[in-house]
Amino acid sequence: MSKPVLVVGGGPAGLSAAHALASAGREVVLVEKADRLGGAPILSGYARLVPSHEWARDAIGGMVDRVATNPLVKVHTNTTVATFEGDPGAFRATLKDGTSLDVGSAILCTGFTHFDSLNKPEWGFGTYEDVVTTTQVEQMLSTGSGIKCPSDGRAPDRVAILLCVGSRDRQIGREWCSKVCCTVSANLAMEIRQALPNCNVYIYYMDIRTFGLYEGEFYWASQEEYKVRYIKARIAEVTSDGKRLIVKGEDTLVKRPITIPFDMVVHAIGMDPNVDNMTLSAVFGVKLQKYGYIDRASTYSQMSGSSRPGVFVAGAALGPETIDDSIAQGQSAAMAALAQASLEIREAAE
Amino acid sequence: MPIHEKSLIRPENLIEHKDLFIDGIDVSGHWSTFINSRALTDYDESMQEEIAALPGGENIHRCWQCGSCTNACTVNALNPDFNPRYWIYLIRNGMKQELLLDKDIVWQCVSCNKCTYACPRDVNPEGVMKATAHWLELKGHTEKKPSMIFDEGFSQQIIETGKIEDGLVIRQFFARTGQKLAQNWLVAMAIGLAKRLPVAMGIKMGFAAVFHPRTRGWSRARAAIKDYVHEREAANRKALGLPTGEDGR
Ligand SMILES: Cc1cc2nc3c(=O)[nH]c(=O)nc-3n(C[C@H](O)[C@H](O)[C@H](O)COP(=O)(O)OP(=O)(O)OC[C@H]3O[C@@H](n4cnc5c(N)ncnc54)[C@H](O)[C@@H]3O)c2cc1C
Ligand code: SF4
Ligand code: SF4
Ligand code: SF4
Repeated sequence: MSKPVLVVGGGPAGLSAAHALASAGREVVLVEKADRLGGAPILSGYARLVPSHEWARDAIGGMVDRVATNPLVKVHTNTTVATFEGDPGAFRATLKDGTSLDVGSAILCTGFTHFDSLNKPEWGFGTYEDVVTTTQVEQMLSTGSGIKCPSDGRAPDRVAILLCVGSRDRQIGREWCSKVCCTVSANLAMEIRQALPNCNVYIYYMDIRTFGLYEGEFYWASQEEYKVRYIKARIAEVTSDGKRLIVKGEDTLVKRPITIPFDMVVHAIGMDPNVDNMTLSAVFGVKLQKYGYIDRASTYSQMSGSSRPGVFVAGAALGPETIDDSIAQGQSAAMAALAQASLEIREAAE
Repeated sequence: MPIHEKSLIRPENLIEHKDLFIDGIDVSGHWSTFINSRALTDYDESMQEEIAALPGGENIHRCWQCGSCTNACTVNALNPDFNPRYWIYLIRNGMKQELLLDKDIVWQCVSCNKCTYACPRDVNPEGVMKATAHWLELKGHTEKKPSMIFDEGFSQQIIETGKIEDGLVIRQFFARTGQKLAQNWLVAMAIGLAKRLPVAMGIKMGFAAVFHPRTRGWSRARAAIKDYVHEREAANRKALGLPTGEDGR
């Protein structure tokens, strides 16, 4: 009987890998650093997801339940992997809490870290209370507290969403596009317009990247059905006149400087490499790619492979990713781990 | 600040001071130019709503500023200042003063609808041009433009008689716009027609010109159309916050 598979990280990718492995009758040890499973959508309290419009607590919560109640999956929360040694088919891992595990392979589903807007001080986060992030807006919606300016609890009349905060910005060493924030922002803009019909929402963009089928349902619908306004400008600075926030920049389509008052400014924050990646790289002996995400062995022939045989990787650990693609990659990594285990058995039989 | 692109500065934004000394240095006169700030300090959100309320303007909020309409435009090819894409943007963000600078060319749209076919978002820019010209007129920014006078004469005749007599349309148009009837091109066309037209057709046309026949049973249609036009005009004025006429409001 082959050893269990170690899944590190219990977000959408890890939950999907664990479920796939257990469905195939394989034992799984799931190690999660936080106090509960679910990953970013649950830990950060996302509201309705793109593109399904399902509540994160229902959609991802459902994935958590079926893994947590599966007898083949042993879950360790509040801990991380301290050491990981051995060869494919015979790895030994020890956890921070002292538990020692014999596993056949490992799947890293350790995800991403939200960009910290304090690193873009010119956009006012941390200085003005009414400058918030997309995560905060998700929380306003998911907790039912409503869209309110944090400073005084008033409902905003005008909201600006700034795209690409912490993405596509060489100044702060982040050259990648975070892939989902355009669509997530269009979705949040529609939610705000629905909750507060008298509140106008402006999205400041460099390009709109609502790729694939997201174009119609999110970009077009937000403009055509919800009258969200899109302005092509990368904002220079967010300040305040003492009463409202002032957004400064250049409206590139009319070649004019703008200094427009707003009640609330939302940063569409990007997906940084997990802050743990240096540690994960050292513990698991896997390479990172140049931006600090976990490197993949190959794009096509073994999509889930890392630089170390027997260690697989899936989801936003590899780079900015959507939930549905993270789930697909979790299943793909599970398949790779199963294939490796069956290879071991065949080799042993020869 | 040095001026990189003087063409971007409008003459009315250039400030010259007669006797201005800063730190003891004379900065009066033309050699030292001051410029009014061009910064846009607010969006006027009502303007898009007003134009969207006029026939043709309904889909203006769909525009994503691709510029296909302007590229396709017949009039833009002749006059680069005729820029539907740009006006749509000004309207969407309520930049009224900027739009007013172009108020005397908006009406020049020839309704060829090349823009309508080019627009990937089905904005109907031709309709937006009509709505904008209409808005400018209703708000008192422009006089009635020749194209409007022509349209009015044309539709008035149809409403009255249910028929259209081209000669009368043209005569009325020239009379109302203060132009002489004996335009060279018109005379040439009339002579050309007289030479080539079959006799029976000429007689028919002459009869129509003299007697203005009506479509039979037209009076009920006329009443209904008049009601509709009246209703529509009142709705347009109401959308723009203008008095609707009847009750003086
Ligand atoms: C504001 C915002 C809104 C979004 N909305 C959507 C949306 O609507 N639809 C969509 O498709 N995508 C959305 N995304 C993207 C989505 O969050 C990711 O696609 C998804 O979370 C990736 O799943 P994952 O499992 O790979 O990583 P994560 O969700 O990041 O999960 C990683 C898990 O690993 C754990 N972990 C991390 N390090 C360690 C360690 N060293 N040891 C053990 N465990 C560890 C973490 O605690 C976490 O539970 C959004 C992203 C942002 C920023
Ligand atoms: S998805 Fe959109 S907002 Fe996010 S980084 Fe890419 S372009 Fe910017
Ligand atoms: S309909 Fe008017 S705006 Fe459109 S292409 Fe023709 S002239 Fe230009
Ligand atoms: S073609 Fe349509 S979408 Fe493009 S700029 Fe013109 S009106 Fe806007």
